[in-house]
Amino acid sequence: MNEQDCLAALAAIVGDRNVLVGPEETAAYVRDWPGDNLAEPLCVVRPATTAEVSEIMRLAQARGIGVVPQGGNTGLVAGTCTTGGRDIMLSLGRMRAIRAVEPTDMVMQVEAGVTVEEAQMAAAAADRLFPLSFGAQGTAQIGGAVAVNAGGLNVLRYGMTRNLVLGLEVVLADGTVLDTLSALSKDNRGLALHQLFIGSEGALGIVTAASLRLLPRITRRQTALLAFEGLSEIVAFAGQARAHCSDLLSAFEFMPGEAIELATGHVDSLRDPLEARHPYYVLLEIAASGPVDLDGLLMGLLEEAMGDGRVLDGVVAASDQQRKELWLLREAMVEAQAARGPHLRTDFSVPLSRVAQLVAALEQVVAEHLPGWTSLAYGHMGDGNVHFNVLPPEGLDGAEVATRAAPARARMYEVVRGFDGSLSAEHGIGRERRAALYADRAPELLRLAEGIKALLDPEGRMNPGCLFPAAEAQKGQNG
Amino acid sequence: MKVLVPVKRVIDYNVKVRVKADGSGVDLANVKMSMNPFDEIAVEEAIRLKEAGKADEVIAVSIGVKQSQETLRTALAMGADRAILVVAADDVHTDIEPLSVAKILAAIVKEEEPGLVLCGKQAIDNDLGATGQMLSALLGWSQAMYANKVDVEGDHAVVTREVDGGLQTVKVKMPTIVSTDLRLNEPRYASLPNIMKAKKKPLDEKTPADYGVDVSPRLEIVKTGEPPVRAAGEMVGSVDELVSKLKEKGIV
Repeated sequence: MNEQDCLAALAAIVGDRNVLVGPEETAAYVRDWPGDNLAEPLCVVRPATTAEVSEIMRLAQARGIGVVPQGGNTGLVAGTCTTGGRDIMLSLGRMRAIRAVEPTDMVMQVEAGVTVEEAQMAAAAADRLFPLSFGAQGTAQIGGAVAVNAGGLNVLRYGMTRNLVLGLEVVLADGTVLDTLSALSKDNRGLALHQLFIGSEGALGIVTAASLRLLPRITRRQTALLAFEGLSEIVAFAGQARAHCSDLLSAFEFMPGEAIELATGHVDSLRDPLEARHPYYVLLEIAASGPVDLDGLLMGLLEEAMGDGRVLDGVVAASDQQRKELWLLREAMVEAQAARGPHLRTDFSVPLSRVAQLVAALEQVVAEHLPGWTSLAYGHMGDGNVHFNVLPPEGLDGAEVATRAAPARARMYEVVRGFDGSLSAEHGIGRERRAALYADRAPELLRLAEGIKALLDPEGRMNPGCLFPAAEAQKGQNG
Repeated sequence: MKVLVPVKRVIDYNVKVRVKADGSGVDLANVKMSMNPFDEIAVEEAIRLKEAGKADEVIAVSIGVKQSQETLRTALAMGADRAILVVAADDVHTDIEPLSVAKILAAIVKEEEPGLVLCGKQAIDNDLGATGQMLSALLGWSQAMYANKVDVEGDHAVVTREVDGGLQTVKVKMPTIVSTDLRLNEPRYASLPNIMKAKKKPLDEKTPADYGVDVSPRLEIVKTGEPPVRAAGEMVGSVDELVSKLKEKGIV
């Protein structure tokens, strides 16, 4: 295959400026967010329209080239980290149109490259809420969020991305454009094919636009940071909170005492809102779109929970500024871990009732396999989603971290299986957890998934190596 | 010494302000309201004076709609000892003018006899920044405005003020009126136990008539408008084109 010839053909589709080659031009695309992996694509191509995406796919098919779609590049599981310099990395970042916002129909249609935050703002401008929300929302794009079925901070109330998608526009491996864009909440015309692509991680097709469900705009919120002795108390409180707050609970995040230290050490303007340090904290938010006495609801709940000794202390945000600071603690705690360099990162979920036991079992694994490392259990407690991360002692280099973490991670996966849990609650599989997925899932499930993959992508050219094993034959042909 | 802290309930600092369709003012229906941030700093400073043993009692005052009691409860939860609510308006869109506010505060000062009035330098809703100075004139007290440091020493207060291009330190005779600037302190969060306790702290409800003050407006708002929308950017194809555009606009 003539590389130059291929680049020229791509440039003919998207223009010279949108075919990027070499480490400098592609730097923002090839280094993943955690900084753990470096992708090696043939080039990065940046189409501006669905028609251009379709043309690129036809070109790739004719030449037998793999295509790795990429959104905001904020994934955590090496979902776009192709190796070998053979595949085209297709960035959706220029497809930025908000095609329509329909406040009456409670739906909007946006292109893949619109960031999650821009989608939120477009909804807000029409007095509506697009509830998907997570730390990377300023960079992460809708196409990527759909492709990985992103979760985040509002899953408790609004579900994952899947619950917010009414229809999609998808380009298949052969360039076919599937249009299931729809403003309908009810539509039972046969199989809901768009669902297949939500969470498919670019291995079945490329999401170029989405119809997204909107909700009434939130007009009032109450946010509190609460202190607890341990996770069992938090689990018990979660049920109490949900019932007490008329199901208006929109976030229920937990983090350990060390998180406050990490966050305040990472962002200068942050401080510990409470007088004393406690073993665990919950960041709780209730929200409503109409005249509901949230303050009364929250204070009633907290009086009860302080009365029975479950909640030790806490603060309630008195202004939006304080609310932002409380949320910044939660976000900065995550960034501070990334700043510490390579570490063991996980994304488990178990039934809520088993969270405390799970964390205890995982801490046991750390004690056995990684003595001297610091574990941090935090996450979206309301969803039973625990990010159990383990930071190495200072001074350990990346390779050594990876070597030592591997057996501990394998052991953790076994522990999670024992709790009927998931080894990937919201981050996806990518390339990092592909082998673990295959060890975890029943053969008949994997066979069915591979059958679907073979139907949509018979040559294995869609995001090769992500979610499914790479097709070796195809690699050989191009290598 | 008692410290009197006036606090105003205003549109939350982080809310995107929308102007009412008829241009008569800002739309406050269904909008998050909070304590004026400069007043929050004043409450914090008053509590710190009390914690340092330089004040005995902190009294928070709010003049406005009935819901201003929420703002007073916040002040009480932060650590103020008691509160006075002067219900002077029924509609959240009614802004009580600085002179009326200053007259009511002057009457409260005569009743309570504080040694210090700590107020925010301005309210972020109308940005008038006049109440403290008017109060000083009505009472014939000294004033130290825009404070970023306050030391009370016996019958004097030494106050560092933020002025154009630097800082100025003044020494004023007590009783005095100090208005707070942004960098004076960082207000604390109200803790849960203190929020609970605040519900039991005294909150007196009054009316302007109780103080013999007429709050009818003297000023007329002619028009309220949105700031002009920033014009969209323009993509240029090359450095040469950029330079020629800049020259065209007389920037280089």
